[in-house]
Formats: sequence, C-alpha cells, structure tokens
Amino acid sequence: MNKNQGSIRFTDGNIVYPNGTVGMKDLNLEIRPGEFVVIVGSSGAGKSTLLRAINGLNRMSSGTVEVDGTIVPQKDGRELRLLRKRVGMIFQDFRLVKRLTVMSNVLIGRLAHVPGWRAMLNLWPVHDREVAMKALERVGITEKAWVKASQLSGGQQQRVGIARALAQEPAIILADEPVASLDPVTTHQIMKDLVRINRELGITTLVNLHFLDLARQYGQRIIGLRYGELVYDGSAANVTDEDFRDIYGRDFTEDDVLDEDAIG
Amino acid sequence: MSAAPPKPARNWPLLIGTLGFLVAMTWWSGHGIGFSLSELLCNLTGGQRLLRESWPPDFAFLPRLYGPFMETIYIAIIGTVVGGILAIPVAVLAARNLTLGKVVWFADRNFMNILRTLPDLFWAMMFAAAVGFGPVAGALALSVFTIAVISKLWSESLEAIDMGMPEAVRAVGGTWLQMIQFGAIPQGLQHYVSYALYAFELNVRASMVLGLVGAGGIGMILETQRANFEYERVTMIILAVLVAVLIIEQISESIRKRLA
Repeated sequence: MNKNQGSIRFTDGNIVYPNGTVGMKDLNLEIRPGEFVVIVGSSGAGKSTLLRAINGLNRMSSGTVEVDGTIVPQKDGRELRLLRKRVGMIFQDFRLVKRLTVMSNVLIGRLAHVPGWRAMLNLWPVHDREVAMKALERVGITEKAWVKASQLSGGQQQRVGIARALAQEPAIILADEPVASLDPVTTHQIMKDLVRINRELGITTLVNLHFLDLARQYGQRIIGLRYGELVYDGSAANVTDEDFRDIYGRDFTEDDVLDEDAIG
Repeated sequence: MSAAPPKPARNWPLLIGTLGFLVAMTWWSGHGIGFSLSELLCNLTGGQRLLRESWPPDFAFLPRLYGPFMETIYIAIIGTVVGGILAIPVAVLAARNLTLGKVVWFADRNFMNILRTLPDLFWAMMFAAAVGFGPVAGALALSVFTIAVISKLWSESLEAIDMGMPEAVRAVGGTWLQMIQFGAIPQGLQHYVSYALYAFELNVRASMVLGLVGAGGIGMILETQRANFEYERVTMIILAVLVAVLIIEQISESIRKRLA
C-alpha cells in the first residue's frame, strides 16, 4: 500500500517551549519506511515532543524535520494539512466524539480526503465510507460501527482511534502513549494490533511507551530519550537493562514495567 | 482522640460595620430619590382603588387574547431561531481557545458587549423605526437580544471544553472550520440547546414588554387596555401570560433535564 513511503528525518532539531523547557535537543534521526520504532524515556524526556513535531503539532525552534524528503511546514495552512493527511495519530485518551457513532468517528480520518462541503453536510462519498469500514475491519470491530463511541470499553475505543488513523490511509502512524490508560490484557491486544498493522500495510509506526518490557517485547528499533536528547538508538533484540538504566538515569522499578516478573 | 479546637469568636466589628454600611447606603439612596414613608402611606389608598378595579379578571376577554398571544409566540420563536443561529459564529469567535487570532477575538468580544449593553427595548424601538411598528420589528429585536444572550453564555462554555478532540481533528489534516464542527461543537452541543431554550423563555417574557413600544404581540394589547383603564382585562392578560410562561418553563426545563 505505502511501500516506499513514510521516511522521517530530523536534522539538528531543537524545540524549546516558551517556559524554557527543552523538549528536543540537537536531534539527528532517520527513520526508514515501514519501521516499527518504540520511543522510551521517563516522563518529560521529550517523547511526545518528538512525535508531535512530525505532524507539526509542535513547532521546531531550529533545525528541520522532513517526511519523505519534504520539510514539515512550520505554519498553519494548506501545505501542513496536506502533510497531516498522510500522518495518522493515536492518543492516550483516544479522543473520540463520544456522542457520535463509531463510524462517524472513523470518518473524521477522511476529512482531508473529501471536499469540505461534503464533510460539513455529512454526505460522505461511498468510497470514503468503504475505506472507513475497511479500517474498522482491520481492527476487528465492524459490528460496533453504528454504536455510540461512549458505549465502548477503553480497548474498543482505542481500536476506533486506530481505525480513524487507518482511514487516513497514512504513510506514518504516530502513537502517543496508546496503552497508558488501558489494563494489561487490553494493552497487549492493542500493541499486537499496532505491530500487525505495521507488518500488513507497511505503515511506518512510532510508538511512545513508558513500560520497558513492552518496548522490548514489541519494538523493532528502540529509541531512548533523556531531557530531549537522543541517548539510545538500537534494535530491541539487543537492548540491555544497562541501556535502560542509562536512558532513565536511575534503576528502574515495578512502575516502569507492565508485568512485574519482567524485572531482571 | 484530640479535643475539637475552640469555636472561633465571631468577628463582631466586621458584622456591625457591614450592617451599618448597608443601612447607610439604603438611607442615602432613598433620600436621593425623594422616598418618604409617610407620603407612601398617604397614597396607598390610590393603590387600593387600582387593586379593587383590577378584580375580578375579565374572563370574557380571554378569547380575544388568542391572536395577540400567538403573535407573541411567533415573535419569540423567530427571535430564538434566527438569533440562535447567528449566535453560533459570534460565540465561537469569542472563545479564546477557538478564535481566529487576537484581532478577530477582540472585535467579536466588543461586538458582543455592545449587543448586550443595549436593552431589548432599545432594539425594538430601532427596528420599529426601521421596518415600521409591528411583529416584524419585535422579531428582529428579539433576534439581536438572543444573539447577545446565547453568545455570551455559550462562548464561556466553549472556553471550558477539552481541547484534545479539536487537536485530533487538526492532526488528521482538518481545517479550522472542521476543527470547530467536529472537535468543538459536539462538546458544547448540550449547553447550546440548554441556552437556546433559556433564550426562548426570556423571549416570551420580553415580547410582552416589546409590545409596549409597538412591536406587536400580547404587550400591544396590554398597553391598549391599560391606557383605557380596563384594569380587569389587564389582570386577565397578566394571568394568561403567567400561565403560559409557567407552562413554557416547565416544558423547557424537562427537555433540559433530559439533555443533562
């Protein structure tokens, strides 16, 4: 579907927030199409900042971020919208319109694909409805299509969130702490969904996680951040407890893992 | 178990000071408008006469109220619908978290303030001068009044919404308008309906007053009967409006409860 698309490149990226907090420091990073990357680091390490820079929700203070060789525009407008159209995002708090049906929520992922007046009047073209339905199929909740989002469990809501991102037919999916509000069983289901979608569709996927065992279990490549700086970049197969200690700057505790048996 | 702390002493100086201040303010204001209790008591007989002449209500007059009364309802409906629709952009642009830049926000806020500062009676007289006396002037005046009421209340609830959903709409590549439609308005919808119903209640009541300046409806007939000293009919009108307003309030409250 998106075979050779979805590359990301940061060049000397810096982000400093108005209150002086450093969210990103001298970041040079390249992500190839189709990679499944897990980003770890303690809270405030700049994981969200990194993801949100890719779709322009956070602006660069200096340096650039490119998607498929095009620099992400740093001001609102048509060009930024065209970029965002190709980048799906999944949030910790799902961000669904609770009073609307699952289908209506997934169709929001098609907003940038249809003429404005059609979306406004809720006159979605057949093709876009089909894309939305296929996205629901992909996460296995087609039977919930006409149910109100508020009636779903947390795991189901996050699946709708994933379906909305898939409905964009994106080259990249950014998942910002997608399992932080879910229970352990659902967490594994959602992580498996994300991995499966990455394999099946070749969508470049970046996932922020704060559970180390999850990062190790599901990541292909792990990126470690500390105070906005890249401190680790390697394959998940080779990452050691020592590496995690370096990333976190401390010994880790049961708070850092989902399954307590994972502490070595 | 530790003993409860002693009850703090009452702040008597503050209490007496506040009370004294209120009394002084009231006396001063009464003096300012020439209020005198003795004069009031002497003139009470006039009021008694008025009350006697106002009773019993003239029930024979009731059928003639139907037409003007329906006109009042029409005026209130048109005012609420037209004003309610126009209030949407005014409220959205006045909400700090949704507006299109500081300049637009500032202009819109001031526009809202002007609408709110001028009373509905003023708008009724303006529109009566513009389009002639009658229900159309009343409906236009209430439209403006409704914009003022809904936009003020709703812009404040819009400022309190969770900005997560609007951000999600921006993240899929949505425009500003789509962010408003799909991200913000669904969260504010309940409040909007509730405020619109409230505005409708206000409009039914206001359209009575508007009739006094010739803007149609039941107020117009109230003013004619008062001018002709037909106080038993005036009582009838007031009773009818009271019942109508109570019924409308009940309906609107039950709808609002169901929304919550």
